Amino acid sequence: MEKRDLERLNEADRLIQEIGADLGLDCLPQEFDVVPAQKMLEIMAYRLPVNFSHWSFGRDYEIERTRFEHGYGVPYEVVFNSDPSRAYLMETNPFPIQVLVIAHVYGHNDFMKNSLHFQKSRRDMITSASEAASRFRQYEHDFGADAVERMIDAGMAIQWNIDPDADKKRESEEEARERLYGWHKSPPAGGKFDDLLPPAPPIATEQKRELRKKTPPEPTVDLLGYVTEHSPRPLVEWEKDALSTIRAQSEYFMPYRRTKIMNEGWATYWHQRIMRRLFEEKFLSSEEHGFYNLYNARVKAHNPRSINPYLLGSTMFESIEDRWNRGRHGQKFSEIEDADVRRSWDTASMKGREKIFQVRRTHMDWFFVDEFLDKDIVDELDLFVYAEQERDAYYESIVEVVDWRRVKEYLVGNLMNWGIPRIEVVDGNYRGSSQLYLRHVFEGMPLEDEYCRKTLEHIYTLWDRPVFLETREPYLDQFRKKLYMADEDGVHVHEE
Amino acid sequence: MAVVQPDYGTAPRGNTDAARHRQKIREAIRQNLPDIISEESIITRNAKQIVRVPVRGVKSYHFIHSRGGEAGGGFGSGESKQGTVIGRRPKPAAGRPGKPGGEPGIDYLETEIEIEELLEMMLEDLGLPNLQKKQVQQNTTTEGWTFDSIEKAGIRPRLDKKRSVREAIKRVESFVALLMRETGRSEEECRRAIDISEGDLVKARQLLDAGEAGTAQGAVSGSRRPPSLESSDLRFRTIEEKVKEESNAVVLAMMDVSGSMDTMKKYFARSFYFWMLSFLRTIYERVEIRFIAHTTEAKLVDEHEFFHKGESGGTQCYSAYDLAAELIDVEYPTSSWNVYPFHFSDGEDWDADRTVQSLRQLLSHEVAAFGYGEIQTEYSSSVLMKAFEENLGLKEGESNGWSYYDGRWKETPLMGVIIRQRQDLYPALRVFLGTG
Repeated sequence: MEKRDLERLNEADRLIQEIGADLGLDCLPQEFDVVPAQKMLEIMAYRLPVNFSHWSFGRDYEIERTRFEHGYGVPYEVVFNSDPSRAYLMETNPFPIQVLVIAHVYGHNDFMKNSLHFQKSRRDMITSASEAASRFRQYEHDFGADAVERMIDAGMAIQWNIDPDADKKRESEEEARERLYGWHKSPPAGGKFDDLLPPAPPIATEQKRELRKKTPPEPTVDLLGYVTEHSPRPLVEWEKDALSTIRAQSEYFMPYRRTKIMNEGWATYWHQRIMRRLFEEKFLSSEEHGFYNLYNARVKAHNPRSINPYLLGSTMFESIEDRWNRGRHGQKFSEIEDADVRRSWDTASMKGREKIFQVRRTHMDWFFVDEFLDKDIVDELDLFVYAEQERDAYYESIVEVVDWRRVKEYLVGNLMNWGIPRIEVVDGNYRGSSQLYLRHVFEGMPLEDEYCRKTLEHIYTLWDRPVFLETREPYLDQFRKKLYMADEDGVHVHEE
Repeated sequence: MAVVQPDYGTAPRGNTDAARHRQKIREAIRQNLPDIISEESIITRNAKQIVRVPVRGVKSYHFIHSRGGEAGGGFGSGESKQGTVIGRRPKPAAGRPGKPGGEPGIDYLETEIEIEELLEMMLEDLGLPNLQKKQVQQNTTTEGWTFDSIEKAGIRPRLDKKRSVREAIKRVESFVALLMRETGRSEEECRRAIDISEGDLVKARQLLDAGEAGTAQGAVSGSRRPPSLESSDLRFRTIEEKVKEESNAVVLAMMDVSGSMDTMKKYFARSFYFWMLSFLRTIYERVEIRFIAHTTEAKLVDEHEFFHKGESGGTQCYSAYDLAAELIDVEYPTSSWNVYPFHFSDGEDWDADRTVQSLRQLLSHEVAAFGYGEIQTEYSSSVLMKAFEENLGLKEGESNGWSYYDGRWKETPLMGVIIRQRQDLYPALRVFLGTG
């Protein structure tokens, strides 16, 4: 990039910071690296600027590169929740697009600094991943690339089976037992409402001995963490390190996963306002602004096969702002029955901005959609649910549901638990012989069989003792219990 | 400055890991060769060298919810109403040994691979096919003519004018030099004397000695005439036939096309012939295939008819063997062709004794190998394989838990396989190519 172009980008950055602050954005210091396309594609595939080696990243890199070479969607923006926040600009993008990305990134920056869900995530992940990459290289050298790949394969298979809401400071099993059974010598540090809790029932000594051996003390969804710590194999240090690294990265990315619609929507909402200001202040020529408009339309384009989070998220924030500006919310508004009164209802309360800033702080997609997706938005965006139907040698995707209530119901269901089946570790000493018993917390949808089997194989690799998984399968018109078992002979459905 | 352009001088990592991914795909393909090579999409390809094949085992596995069956679904946005078709995708090929309850279609990984590469993998996996060890029958073919040497005698049409003129010039120049040396006259005078004497050295000498070469005729000086050609100047080209050592093979594809051979059975045969030809092409420079369809009578047909048309009627396999023998006599003498007669049927034969007789007759032509594939269903009557077993000494053998028949008639390897399902194709190919 020419020095002159770089200077102009810096000027854009300065202006955007000013405008952002003026509009109320609250950001961490922001850094941008201008990188070649190839590096950008790598960052997107590896999820972090420098990360450990794995074939799945290589596969994603190839996919990104193919898409890039075929001109599908220019790689748009990559920004990391770090302090200072780090973002990447692709060298080959035209100037107005660079400016758009900068504006968009400040939206993310504000979101990640302020959203409650990002508060627990570590802001040194870029460095941490880079260090992990060197350690993993050493492991490959010392223990063989195959062994390392096997460990990463296994860890990645359960990378999302973590507890996203667990506190950073992990409770030991002993602490958990104390909390659960009240074995503390002294009463718990007095909380305000402690006197309202019934006293813990006395536990017989015999029973206590049993409970003391019970692991985990209570079911946990942190499968990856549990296996890492408690595998009877046992795992050696480098293996634990590999698994812990994967787990730390999953924890880091979990907030992104949980706020995809909101985060992209928020950034889009703000880049549109910032770009308008840049044009009004004559920083962008009308030609550049026109180019931006074209591109912005692509960013917000409808996708018949999936929901565009940029489009849905920004539309929802606009809708919320509008409703709170005009007082079109709350019980009073919902009780209006007269259609005309309802249509023209406007309290001019102008609480819109305040409301969206608050929502971006507290919500995540699941509750965001549940609370704010209404008929107007579904109609405006023509949201629908499609299903595939067999026709001759094809599957045709056919729009099936357009009724807004049902579309919303499906969407919320889909966002629930971020689409990850809940798998609990129930017993790490099953049948008294260090076997692992897992239970799928059934929420109406059975597990995909092939994926389930392969994942269990990976867990068995880590655990090295029989692994059970209890789930349910459709049977006649209902569901019945199904028990998988993975051992040295592979995975089979266990007959009791 | 907040926007900087750092130097990322490090080697790209994406390519290394992408290569590992591709390697994993290759491994998966190798493990699934029996499924993959019997993919219909490969056999029906239209001269495309790249095929899409399904790959299992290179996915990132997690616990995911089942969507019930292969059909998927999801959310979308944009103008539409109930019932609008927003897109479609091809169904995975039928007969693919998937699992019931299917995986979501979009996760089905398909990859592109060149047929060549598949062949290579199969060759590696099968080991060196026996075919390669066998002495390959060499054959010479004419690839036209080539000019070879230059001779002083020849026929008029092969006169090499350029060379002849060059010879004439050489001759004239040497005369001029000689005259100059012997008479002490100038080059110009000597050359003129040669011109006037029309290349006659003796006459030129006389002219020079008489002092006549400098006379009026010399006015044409400068306009040097091309030397006239003498018979000693003439050069002729000889030509030779250009021949090339070549190895030829012909597959005589025979198949029962009577009513009992249904589409699925023909598909097996077709799949088999496809790979057989592909393999032979890696060994021989020239491979032909002729199709003999038979019921009670046999006839030569084209490929389409062979695989697609069925006829009613009974089954007499000898008719095909007789026709094959005839074809060898007329078009593919085994002195210059490696002949591979292969026959597929469902085992039915109305006159097995006569078929055995005809087969002996066919084998006496010294074919390279004979293969018989019996496509069995639970209803088929395996008359023919039994007849071969009894009369030609075919013996049952086993390879990787899959049984086959082999034997020898004099020097000719005989091979028999029984195909019951798609996955049997690969071991069948192994037998045909790897043993004998």
